[in-house]
Amino acid sequence: MRSFKYGDEKISGRELMIALPSIVISVDILSLPKEISNDMNGSDGWIVLLVAGGFSLLIIWMMARLAASFPGQSFLSYASTILSKPVAIVLTLIFGVLFIGVAAYYIRVLGQTSQQYLFEQTPVEVVSLSFLLVIVYAVCGSRAALFRLNMLFFPIINIVLLFVLVINIKWVDVTNLLPVFQTDLKSYVKGLQTSVMAYMGFSIVLFYIAFVDKPKKAPKLAMLGMLIPIVLFILVYLFCLMIFGHAATSNLLFPTIDLAKRIEVPGGILERVEAFFFIVWTMGVFNGTTLAFDAAILALNSVLKRMKKVKLVIILSPIIYYIALLPRNISQINMFQDFIHMFLVSFAFSITIILVFAAKIRGVGRNDKANK
Amino acid sequence: MVRRVYTRSNKKSKQHEESPSKPVKLDSNLNTNIQQLKKLLDAPNDLVVREIKFEEANITSAIVYISGLIDRQLVQDSILVNLQNVSQNLQYPIENVGLFHKIYQSFISITSIELGNTLDDVTNGILSGKTVLFLDNTETVLLMDTKGGESRGIEAPTTETVVRGPKTAFVENLGTNLSLLRRSLQSPDLRFKTHQIGRRSKRSLVVAYVDGVINPAIVGEVNRRIETIDIDDAPEAGFIEQWIEDSFLSPFPQMNNTERMDRAASALLQGKVVILLDGTPFVLIAPVTLGDILKSPEDYYERWLIGSLLRFLRYLAAFMALFLPGLYISLVTIHPGMLPTDLALSIAASREGVPFPPVVEAFLMVITMELLQEAGIRLPTPIGQTIGIVGGLVIGEAAVSAGIVSPIMVIVIGLTAIAAFANPTFSIGITFRILRIGFMLAAAIFGLYGIVLVYIMINIHVVNLKSFGIPYSTPFTPTMVGDWKDLVIRAPMTMLTERPKFLAPKDAKSVDKGANGG
Repeated sequence: MRSFKYGDEKISGRELMIALPSIVISVDILSLPKEISNDMNGSDGWIVLLVAGGFSLLIIWMMARLAASFPGQSFLSYASTILSKPVAIVLTLIFGVLFIGVAAYYIRVLGQTSQQYLFEQTPVEVVSLSFLLVIVYAVCGSRAALFRLNMLFFPIINIVLLFVLVINIKWVDVTNLLPVFQTDLKSYVKGLQTSVMAYMGFSIVLFYIAFVDKPKKAPKLAMLGMLIPIVLFILVYLFCLMIFGHAATSNLLFPTIDLAKRIEVPGGILERVEAFFFIVWTMGVFNGTTLAFDAAILALNSVLKRMKKVKLVIILSPIIYYIALLPRNISQINMFQDFIHMFLVSFAFSITIILVFAAKIRGVGRNDKANK
Repeated sequence: MVRRVYTRSNKKSKQHEESPSKPVKLDSNLNTNIQQLKKLLDAPNDLVVREIKFEEANITSAIVYISGLIDRQLVQDSILVNLQNVSQNLQYPIENVGLFHKIYQSFISITSIELGNTLDDVTNGILSGKTVLFLDNTETVLLMDTKGGESRGIEAPTTETVVRGPKTAFVENLGTNLSLLRRSLQSPDLRFKTHQIGRRSKRSLVVAYVDGVINPAIVGEVNRRIETIDIDDAPEAGFIEQWIEDSFLSPFPQMNNTERMDRAASALLQGKVVILLDGTPFVLIAPVTLGDILKSPEDYYERWLIGSLLRFLRYLAAFMALFLPGLYISLVTIHPGMLPTDLALSIAASREGVPFPPVVEAFLMVITMELLQEAGIRLPTPIGQTIGIVGGLVIGEAAVSAGIVSPIMVIVIGLTAIAAFANPTFSIGITFRILRIGFMLAAAIFGLYGIVLVYIMINIHVVNLKSFGIPYSTPFTPTMVGDWKDLVIRAPMTMLTERPKFLAPKDAKSVDKGANGG
């Protein structure tokens, strides 16, 4: 950090490295063990998590390389160079809409979880609204500040998560992992799909590389950052299985939070530690939501250049709130989640591959690198 | 917020262009000048005009000063006696210009002399304690620095008590303060840049920094902002602080103020500027970050283990000062299930008969506490202590036995108040007191969830806040791991070899490892 400049508003490579796992784990880690164990028999989920992780690493490397080969350019501008302006505008808008959906989904999950773990009577609408207002306050600030918030909260939530895992070692039953390698091929495909979707948040990298101070190093750092959620996902998944067993894990709504239920604070100062865990995790969800919201603003703002950021935030927030409250119950939330995940993953991945190959064929981007 | 200062500076420069007052040149006639001066100041009693005649040349001269502002002995010994001797006995040039130069160069034995040629120079000079020498048929005057008068001696700091370390506090006199700094920081690179502040009342303001250590951009920014200051008078450094701070909406202090000489000197060596204002013992330190505000010079005077523990304790105190009442309210009202059964029962038992919900109870106690603090400051010291005892013990005890508040609430609020005062700077204590109210309200509405939302909001505010372009949240984030050695813990002296990186100092190393490492 020798290069810290006076009042610099650039994002450092390290901040990007933390932001990616931050958005990936923010919400998905809460219910991931359930979803994976729904798809997979025994403890085979770690295989799909690992494979999907490897696949994500490949994609994120492609994304980061692509974006970094046009240093300082927004997604819109390099996509227009590679394809054409109208196509790029459409792509950017779709990304914007998808990120809005992601933000709405995160907000809704937070509201839902709070009802389950914190207060039964308070309506989801109120909880979500107050959360959204805090998000709006954050997004109205500077972009570098958002990434700094990530740097502040990410260690906190991870330390708490690891702490919960370590405390739970007492209840670990390794036999719960059995049977192994009992899943059929069809379930593997399904599990792979679920786990790839869990990693979807990192698509923001397409948009944020433009703000990174040293774009050359960005692909490596992005991949390094992506290793964190892969490790955490597998750890949390295995722990849930070892502690609750396969059947219980696939029936719990948010098994990761329930891990904290087992904790007894020595001396009995506090009970219901899972509520505390949820409170801390609010910061994690907050990180993911701000990044998704900000990425949406970034995408829309690059198309609607003349609109002020604050104005865009004011227009978007009611829309996000509305979308967040659309699902009526948990199964609809799950449907919404699957839809958003599916759409974002397939869209982001296919666009990345198309862009990379189109850039190769047309020889743009590489030239920029040669000039450097 | 920087933009705000920019626009203000533009406004100011416009005003200056518009301002019609041209400096009035001095007349060549001595009497006209003195008449004009008397007219301007309305011939006050304490304005002394002393005429000296140079008989041989038939030239009259006069020295003018305000009696309370000058050092009588100095004027008498170094000006009056010399001039009288010369006018009586010695050879001197008999034409005007020659005589003036001779006086300037040889006859006056005052260390600091300036030339002036406008009426403004003369009035400002006289009002700041200078003695002015007029000579007939000359349009230039001599301004001799004879500042004196009553001033307070150097004492131990009263608002920041020292357990161990230099007990020198700044005083009201700017000259004394500068000399204190010079004496404590004997470096040829110590620089003082002087500004004149105030329209109606001119006051000197000095920006001190160590050249070669500080990032020049910071000095430039501080000076630029100070030049935008446009007020009648600045009797306290607080005026300067409020004028040049980054965000006036923030509850957080963006500059540190201190009256301790050692604190100012150590800030200079870290690569910060110290702003000294004439007339106040409080100096400003800028830029500061949240981490800096929770530091105290004693951390470095004690051994590192003790220093680190004290730091840690201070962070704990900061969290307690912020969260404790909010946590109590949320646990008792919204999440009673989170407390262990025994504790929940004993709290419920102690609250039996209390007619108010915990929020109201807490606010009652917090307001009482704030009142006590304020009253304690206003009253003279001996009575202040009485108020503390009456308020703290009697009212607390009576409120509990009257059943208005529960004893646990008294404990919570008492702890909170103590924690808020465990901070090394007074201004951050006030910040915590303000923010605490926010936590209490949020806790009353949303319980723990509300507390975490407010906590997130404070974090959002802090990461967006800047102090002279330095992010307020450094070195927590933007993360500078190198600076963490001196943040929540204070690493051993031999390991603190570098200046804070977030200030981007020109000379990053403060100690050469080779020289000190043995």
